[in-house]
Amino acid sequence: MESGFNRVQRILDDMGDSLDVGEVPMEILNNDAVYEEELDRIFGQTWVYIGHESEVPEPGDYRQRTIGEDPFIFVRDEDGEFRVLFNSCRHRGANVCRAEKGNTSHFRCPYHGWTYDNSGDLVGVPQKSAGFDHLDADDHGLHQAPHVDDYKGLVFACIAPEAPSLEEHLGGATWFLDMYFDLIDMEVIGDPHRWEVENDWKTPTENFYGDNYHIPMGHKSAIEAGVGSDTATGEKESELYGIADCDGHAFSFYQIESDEPSYWGHPPEVVETFNHDALTEEQHEVARKSGVTLGTMFPNLSFIFLGGRDDPEKESVGTFLLRKWEPRGAGKMEVVNWIFAPKHASDEYKERAYEVGMSSFSPAGNFEVDDVGIWYGIDDAAGSVFARKNDVHTKFTMGSGDNAAATVVDDWVGPGTAYREGGMTDENQLDFYRTWYETMTDNGGT
Amino acid sequence: MQGETTSSHELRHECEAFLYHTAELLDNRQLSDWHDLVTEDIDYRVPIRTTRERSSDTEFSDSSFHMKEDWGTLKVRTERMSSDFAWSEDPPSRTRRNVSNVRIVDDDGTEVELKNNLLIFRQQGDETEADLLSMERHDTLRRTDDGFKIAERLVLLDHTIIPTNTLSIIL
Repeated sequence: MESGFNRVQRILDDMGDSLDVGEVPMEILNNDAVYEEELDRIFGQTWVYIGHESEVPEPGDYRQRTIGEDPFIFVRDEDGEFRVLFNSCRHRGANVCRAEKGNTSHFRCPYHGWTYDNSGDLVGVPQKSAGFDHLDADDHGLHQAPHVDDYKGLVFACIAPEAPSLEEHLGGATWFLDMYFDLIDMEVIGDPHRWEVENDWKTPTENFYGDNYHIPMGHKSAIEAGVGSDTATGEKESELYGIADCDGHAFSFYQIESDEPSYWGHPPEVVETFNHDALTEEQHEVARKSGVTLGTMFPNLSFIFLGGRDDPEKESVGTFLLRKWEPRGAGKMEVVNWIFAPKHASDEYKERAYEVGMSSFSPAGNFEVDDVGIWYGIDDAAGSVFARKNDVHTKFTMGSGDNAAATVVDDWVGPGTAYREGGMTDENQLDFYRTWYETMTDNGGT
Repeated sequence: MQGETTSSHELRHECEAFLYHTAELLDNRQLSDWHDLVTEDIDYRVPIRTTRERSSDTEFSDSSFHMKEDWGTLKVRTERMSSDFAWSEDPPSRTRRNVSNVRIVDDDGTEVELKNNLLIFRQQGDETEADLLSMERHDTLRRTDDGFKIAERLVLLDHTIIPTNTLSIIL
């Protein structure tokens, strides 16, 4: 029986060789040893999404969030600064915050009453002079993620001692994020969906890196019901572009060539509220033509922005969803799904945007349920003895032959490499696995 | 029965019979027959629940939902779930809806407001462990020429993190 360490090494060696020929050893989708290493080398090393500023609008507002499986409190302190506090008392380790969200000036440990203010500083120790006279309170605030930063309201944290800046980590992804979070003042509607799925976190991540090949087959039932995006239902003609080679992140764009502006299906009265000057001319042109855009920022933050509907009888609206695929064990994850709407749109419009987002992608989403329904079982095959003994690999070679429909766009104006017929190449998904491999084999921190 | 006053026992019995019947339709996957029993102005909501401190007013969101449906979107969902390409329900999950603790809240002669508990056993494929979904439903049943129809349903889940892969079933 090979040891866990040997097993990880063997799989990583295989991964390095396999990626060169567009394959991935299936074992990585359900393997305890690989999973343990992922928690350490990926989630313990890279910037991970925490939450949006609109989820904690007031000082003292907090939400519980995780980095990998680790428990943190995402809080806006009295000075308005975002903090990512480790939810564990410095005394004996009990959780100091036990609600999922709320507002508080202090976190008080229920065990012995040690009390911290909402910036994490220790401000109260019961019977301190009698028992803890020697304790320097300044050195005993709650532990905090050493790196916390936000990009246009999206708050990330990194728990490694050394880290590149957030902007460096996001790299070319910022060009795309600007199109959503600079052009539009976005806010999260309500609370995120959370549900548990028997799948490895990498399966949906890989999909949201840009698997546009699965849509006609996987989502046939929803498309035939006339719901979802106007580009998927064929209501609007579009060109699909895949953006790979973008600092480890990848994107897909459905562009609608028309005199009528698209802006992800937002109507003129909503488009009027956008900050049109915030974008470059090139970014703005892409936004104007956008039907659906989707993508993933390494390691596990995906989004989809779609113009569509939840009922063929209703008007199309634009809805933006951010989703985090939380690792919860080998072959197991929790999905956290936030729905956004333009802050300056009418309440009625925001409600419609929410409804269309929820009906498409959520535990009950007409699109999501079929994705998850299809993925179910991958973990069993991936964790099988057969897969290990017979070198079973998954395949990412689409678009590599001589007659490949996907071709590089020479005059692409943004970061990364853009492919025409973006549904006909696996370059985006390969980028995910290349980044995964590089991060897993990087011994010197990010 | 319309316009008549019934004793509370008979009324509860009548409502229970309707709830059992609609549960049977869903368990038997007669989704379109179930959809025939909702009113055209139905308001159907499953709000998201979060873990809150005891002192908080409510654990249920007033702006975010797992489902927030009207007649049209329920029609889309029930038709889609019956499609040969609805992979999450083909092969279908095996469900058993156990309806209990039916409590009549109000009856104005046209509509009956009631609460009931629902425990759904759900299993799919070769699973041996069941997914259990537990909830309280606040229903408004309207008397029509064809008998009761569901005019409002508010589903209060006993879950914050949904413990099943997909909610591709009607609650």
